[in-house]
Amino acid sequence: MTAIVVQDLRVSRGGTEVLKGISFSVDPGSVYALLGGNGAGKSTTLLTLLGFLTPDSGSASVLDNDVTQCVSRVRQQIAYLPEAATLYPHLNAYENLEYFLDLAGRKTTQLELDQALDEVGLQLESRSRHMEDYSKGMRQKVAISLAILRETPVLLLDEPTSGLDPVAIDEFNALVRNLAGLGKSILMVTHDVYGACQVANRIGLLRRGQLVGSFDAPAGERIETDRVHATFAERATA
Amino acid sequence: MMREFKFMLRDKAVWVWLSLAFVFSLAAVSLGLNEVSQQNAEIAELKQLDRAERRTNLAAQADWGSAAYYTFHITYDPPSDFAYAAIGQRDVSPWKHRIRMLALEGQIYETDANNPDFALVGRFDFAFVASLIAPLLVVLLLFDLRSGEQVAGRLRLIEASAASGAKLWWSRAGLRVSALAVALCVPLIAGGLVSGAPILTLAFCVGAVCVYLAFWTMLTLLLAPATRTGAYNLTTMLGTWLLLCAVVPAILTQLIERVVPLPDGGEIVLAQREAVNDAWDLPREATYEPFLQRYPQWADHTAWNDEDGFEWKWYYAFQQVGDQTAEPLSQSYRVGQARRDELARWSSLISPATLMQRTMERLAGTDMQAAIDYEQDVRQFHGVLRDWYYARLFKAEVFDADVAIETIPTFDPVGR
Repeated sequence: MTAIVVQDLRVSRGGTEVLKGISFSVDPGSVYALLGGNGAGKSTTLLTLLGFLTPDSGSASVLDNDVTQCVSRVRQQIAYLPEAATLYPHLNAYENLEYFLDLAGRKTTQLELDQALDEVGLQLESRSRHMEDYSKGMRQKVAISLAILRETPVLLLDEPTSGLDPVAIDEFNALVRNLAGLGKSILMVTHDVYGACQVANRIGLLRRGQLVGSFDAPAGERIETDRVHATFAERATA
Repeated sequence: MMREFKFMLRDKAVWVWLSLAFVFSLAAVSLGLNEVSQQNAEIAELKQLDRAERRTNLAAQADWGSAAYYTFHITYDPPSDFAYAAIGQRDVSPWKHRIRMLALEGQIYETDANNPDFALVGRFDFAFVASLIAPLLVVLLLFDLRSGEQVAGRLRLIEASAASGAKLWWSRAGLRVSALAVALCVPLIAGGLVSGAPILTLAFCVGAVCVYLAFWTMLTLLLAPATRTGAYNLTTMLGTWLLLCAVVPAILTQLIERVVPLPDGGEIVLAQREAVNDAWDLPREATYEPFLQRYPQWADHTAWNDEDGFEWKWYYAFQQVGDQTAEPLSQSYRVGQARRDELARWSSLISPATLMQRTMERLAGTDMQAAIDYEQDVRQFHGVLRDWYYARLFKAEVFDADVAIETIPTFDPVGR
């Protein structure tokens, strides 16, 4: 079963057509990176898959569930990591994770929380501090651990490495590849060509609401950054 | 629900507004209990003084006419056990009258009222807190419920995580407003237990508060969407509060006063006084004729001669005629008051704050109807007093102070 299928999707926001008939699919255990500049329609694609926006035409489904018909079921299958996710500043990392996981109907143990926070590399001594004292990168790490702990088959990541330092970006990319290796289907939107090439099995270039190119990773290899970069510079930002 | 409850307890802003609600409610209930206690103490003292003064006065008289002239009677409307929650009309309408056998209408309408400046400001009672302050607190607790999450960048994450977004917002709003209801009603119930208010009345009042808060909750959730900023939502809701709690009631009051004009209380007093004063210079027939139409049983005891000197029975007859002359004005005043009250009752259906206030005043027995009922009780008692004195004046009975002290009617508010 294909994890995400988007077919000729058209979506308007505020009277302007943002997505102009895009089609792509994400296979189980793979990473699909939607690459594009500002205003290309990357976040609109994610919000449509989450059921926050209604398509003008076309279709989108997650694990065979139409996103307009089965919003609740779709959201149960998806862990969503928004860009610059702001969790509750008056709660610490544990409390935030417990709150949002409980919201999603998932109970966790302290051990599971610590394992997830270890995985994203959040220092032990920071975990019991209120998040108002966290740097942007630390906040993002907690949000990533939240996405991991949701244990959903599909992950939607909106500019996930935004605000992370280079070391943390490398760690995050390794984590994403690891999650895909565990069978998760991941759709990430980004304007980071290097990061996309590091983790994605397939890259789609989005420009003004249209897919203007795509790249597939050869078996066992990564997509060539220079090729994507050149095409991105030529088509996606033209 | 437990998750949201714990979450709410960690929100400092919620604590501030709930504490404020509790303090306001506690202050209002305390002030109400104090006011009711003062009124009860005043009534008890007046009753004691009234009894002692009447005994002294009656003992000093030589005839029934003088006894009727110099003897006063206290009448009063005791506050109900729930009046502490809504002082209502007791601020502006008299709840005690000291009356005697003279024409009554003047005694009713020339009576002293409490300081009108205080009446203008209004009373800080529970009805005020529940009808005007509680909606503001609902607004302050809820205006930013969703828009605050949107501004902080959490809204999508929350709604994408929650099994049901709508259920989440309703439970968050429901918990906050339930906590507000508890903060408001705990002092109310404690006050009720102290004053001995009926459980059913307390339960009805708590129910009314909950329904009223639910109305404001729905209004706030409807008019304060996530897509707007908190400042926009707050401005919208404060405007709505101002409209529903101040502008609409003020317009309705003005409209009702224009639609139902009332004679001035002073006009009634003047009409009655002029009738009484004129009677001194009129032939006695001009007094006795209308008097006997009302009291034909004394026709055989009113033989008169215009050359006769002063007679008490004639004096009291023209006091009665003074009341009869002012009766149409007084009647139209009462009918107008009742009509205004009826219109206010219907118009309160489009003014939730007024409806809430009226509901509480009705429960407390401090509304306009209670004030009108008390006035009627005073008239009824004055009628009993007249009958008692007329029987002695017109039959020219010999005055006996001891009999007078023992048998003179006294006002009894029991049953009101």
